[in-house]
Amino acid sequence: MALTLTCPICGQRNGYEFRYGGEEKGPRPDEEGLSPEDWCDYVHLNKCVAGIQKEWWFHRDGCGAWFTTQRDTTVNLEVEQPEAQL
Amino acid sequence: MKRLTHLPTLRIDPSQEIPLKYNRRTYQGVHGDTVATALFANGVRILARSLKYHRPRGLYSLDGECSNTFMQVNAIPNVCTENTLLRRGMTVEAQNVKGTPETDRMGFMDKLDWAMPAGFYYRTLHKPARIWPLALKQVRKAAGLGVIAPDFEMKGKYDEIYPQADVCVIGGGPAGMSAARAAAAQGLRVILLESRPWLGGFFDYRPAEYHDGVPLYRRARELAQRLEETTNVRIFSHTAMVGAYNNNLITAFQQGGPGDHFDERYIEIRAVSVVVATGCIERPLLFENNERPGVMQIGCAHRLARTYGLLPGEQAVFSIGHDLGLEAAIDLFDLGLKVACVADIREDGQDPRLVDELAARKIPFWRGWVATRAHGKKTVTKVSLSTIPGTQQRDFGCDLLVASAGMTPVTGPLTLAQAQLQYDLHTGFFLPAQLPPKVHAAGRLLGLHDALAIEASGHLAGLEAAADCGVSVDADRQRARENLDSRPGPVRGCKLVLAPVKGRKSFICFDEDTTIKNIQQAIAMGFEATELIKRFTTAGTGPGQGGIPGHNLPLFVAQYLGEASVAAQPTVVRAPLVPTFLATYAGSHHDMCKRTPVHDSQKQAGGVMRRIGVWRRARYFSQDFSCREEIVNVRNNVGMLDASTLGKFRIWGPDALQALQRVYVSDMSKVSEGKVKYSAMCNDDGCIIDDGVVVKRGANDYYFTTSTARAGVTGEWFRYHTRYDGWNFSIVNLTDAFGVINLAGPNARQVLEKVADADVSNAAFPYIGYREFTIRDTIPVRAMRLGFVGELSYELHVPSSYMQALWDILAEAGRELNIRNFGVEAQNVLRMEKCHLIIGAESELRTTLHDVGLGFLWDRTKTAAKTVGAVALRQTAEQEGRLKLVGFKMEDPSRTPKDGSLIVDRAIRGYICIARHSFTLEEPVGLALVEAPLNQEGTRLEIFEDECGDRRLYAKVVPTPFYDPEGTRLRI
Repeated sequence: MALTLTCPICGQRNGYEFRYGGEEKGPRPDEEGLSPEDWCDYVHLNKCVAGIQKEWWFHRDGCGAWFTTQRDTTVNLEVEQPEAQL
Repeated sequence: MKRLTHLPTLRIDPSQEIPLKYNRRTYQGVHGDTVATALFANGVRILARSLKYHRPRGLYSLDGECSNTFMQVNAIPNVCTENTLLRRGMTVEAQNVKGTPETDRMGFMDKLDWAMPAGFYYRTLHKPARIWPLALKQVRKAAGLGVIAPDFEMKGKYDEIYPQADVCVIGGGPAGMSAARAAAAQGLRVILLESRPWLGGFFDYRPAEYHDGVPLYRRARELAQRLEETTNVRIFSHTAMVGAYNNNLITAFQQGGPGDHFDERYIEIRAVSVVVATGCIERPLLFENNERPGVMQIGCAHRLARTYGLLPGEQAVFSIGHDLGLEAAIDLFDLGLKVACVADIREDGQDPRLVDELAARKIPFWRGWVATRAHGKKTVTKVSLSTIPGTQQRDFGCDLLVASAGMTPVTGPLTLAQAQLQYDLHTGFFLPAQLPPKVHAAGRLLGLHDALAIEASGHLAGLEAAADCGVSVDADRQRARENLDSRPGPVRGCKLVLAPVKGRKSFICFDEDTTIKNIQQAIAMGFEATELIKRFTTAGTGPGQGGIPGHNLPLFVAQYLGEASVAAQPTVVRAPLVPTFLATYAGSHHDMCKRTPVHDSQKQAGGVMRRIGVWRRARYFSQDFSCREEIVNVRNNVGMLDASTLGKFRIWGPDALQALQRVYVSDMSKVSEGKVKYSAMCNDDGCIIDDGVVVKRGANDYYFTTSTARAGVTGEWFRYHTRYDGWNFSIVNLTDAFGVINLAGPNARQVLEKVADADVSNAAFPYIGYREFTIRDTIPVRAMRLGFVGELSYELHVPSSYMQALWDILAEAGRELNIRNFGVEAQNVLRMEKCHLIIGAESELRTTLHDVGLGFLWDRTKTAAKTVGAVALRQTAEQEGRLKLVGFKMEDPSRTPKDGSLIVDRAIRGYICIARHSFTLEEPVGLALVEAPLNQEGTRLEIFEDECGDRRLYAKVVPTPFYDPEGTRLRI
């Protein structure tokens, strides 16, 4: 896998070690009063950005941390300085 | 054929003979030979027949640039024999021939070229439409080179490795070695890839002077030796680079040599910086019959002599466009080759020293002449030369024609790394106009020819790569650049593409039998873009990956169209650059699995071990796969099962309970000490993914089990669903740290009583109780009174290191009761009779908690916990049209349907999850997922079994569980 990811604990590692956890969508909405449609949107609808996207990754074969990172989906490369890019 | 054995450049050991079988005859090669050179040494000149026209083909490039030397080796078709080292016991056969390559009965195809114009596959034999299927059959039969036997089984060991490096250098020639050395001198870890079995590149075989009287080949060996002694350089020889991806991920295939533990392996290198120093190959000269055996490139002829000790012929004509050709003519002449004539395409620009040396040897040297036709039916017997405009012509008798139009850089790796290439007028090369970050190019592929300049450019590229790795090399880099600038720059290249030929058989692509005429036909049909012409004529789409036509095609198209607006554009190269075995891609299949601590004991006790998920488990304890005795024993006596594969976790910390509330559907605040709570986990769609039990071992400290399949991912699941909350809890996977024995059956207590240091009576340790005690004063046990199999049973969790001891103690204590082992299959039937679920067996991706009848587990009041799946559970609680889990009995009790059989009426209504003959009930029973109206009690189910034709089996929906519906057996 050409992708590398930077784990906040272990540093830059091969993409094979990670599991993708989906786009960053914010915390779980409150269950009370939530319509099934809104819930479905939260769980299943993605923005599928062509460009820089904030997303979740799990360091499966490493420290076991979930973390967010920024990736340019057009070239499948992690963006080095995520904050500066936004 | 006599070998030249005295040459210092040889890469063979003539004293070690290796036999090989070819065409039912045994030939002798020597150690270091490739299969093709061994055959050549034995006088075999025609190694194959071409794809379409069945034209004879022989040695041409010696570097695998075309399919000329593809043969069947040890039953493997399409082996490129010119770069496959000869090994003991090889059986070689020609392919794509009827008869032998010398007398191929399909040879008449060569006369049918008129019937196969460019794109004939798309254009002819389509009208009337009904003939195409017939034609297709014949075309398919005739197409392709090798044939694989249907029962062929690939042997050998295939491996993969994933090394990392600071700098990866592609190409082990002088530039590559210099780059590797420069980077390594900065303390960086360097990987060097070389496609040949040795380092040295185009220095390796040449006796010409390097500097101060040192010949090039000695310089190459000196560089190679120094590198081999450098500990931070890892050299992969006989390794072809095949792909380059983002972040400088380089992939390659390595062929194993003697002593290697693999036949071929896949290498995936992650490097910070990459240096491409792949050098040049030769650009084929296009003339009539330019691929006749006996026609070969300069490097091929020269290396045959210098590397393998084989004179490429007796009487030679050279038609070349590069100084290397003059050098080869002189050297081969000195080795005993008769040279009739050296025709140089170039009018001027030759190295005057080489011209003088030719004159000194009285070799006729004609400037501005070129080969226009090779004569000879099977191999070359005569060559026609003419002036470039074609005004004068002369013939020479010869058996070797060394033909080459010039050099062309091996830019494949650069293109894969997404470098932009541009046609350069001076060199005639496609040169990198813009290199991607952290990729550098060096050496001959930049057009350099001077030995010192090549090394200087390698050195500079090595330092550039070091700079990418954060090493401060500014001063060195400056010096290296000045050094390079002081050396001769890129040499002017020969631009001629096509000799003044008449006739139809000038091949631009050997693999696909594409001629110049085919290209002209395509252009006449309106094709202008090289990329499309390549597709339409298939030039360059063969296994040589454009090695032969890659450079000529765009040049020819640009020249032929003759418009200034049509700039020569290289066609796109894609990975893999070199063909290889699928077996290498597949790599080695390590059947890695886990064994429980009592694996060996179970095996000794007759356990039939099966792979179940990541584990090997005892599925049966006898050859009776219905497990009758194991089942009856658990129902009436006592049995023990190794359940160590269960997922086991500890979760603790101030927010542990909140985390449990998040992922479990039940109200986990009700988990109390001394009691087991059964619950389930759903995903966000309300579909059941896991079930298990939770116990509380102290304040904020819980121990829980998951199903075997979920053991690997549960930690991740907890963390994922709490990732925004910042909760303070820890979770640890104890699956391998603890083993589990399930002691089950009405006599289970009698066994446990004997060994436990605690009161295990029904009053002191009731059903769904949880106790911690010791066994025999030593073994700490976490005991749960559960009833998965529907009987009185104790699940005993102990540290893995105690498992063997506990296993032996229980077996010993139960001996007078005739305790028996039972396996996973017996457990499966036992729990099915009791209708206890196995997630994944009675559920699938779409099955909700409600569908399997476990909706009661869900606590719908704990909305504040934002339980995973709760929203969907609310939505699906009353949803119609879902598959529901039901129990059924068969109308005809003599027949048990297969698992997975469909429930049908006029359409598919569901399927059988599990069905077994129940020895307890003395009839078949099972569980099925069926559409809503069919789940009513008493409904007749129609079962469609695989391959049953019109016959159906019938069953009736019955109440569950089948066995002990009141649950009294669990509580005794």
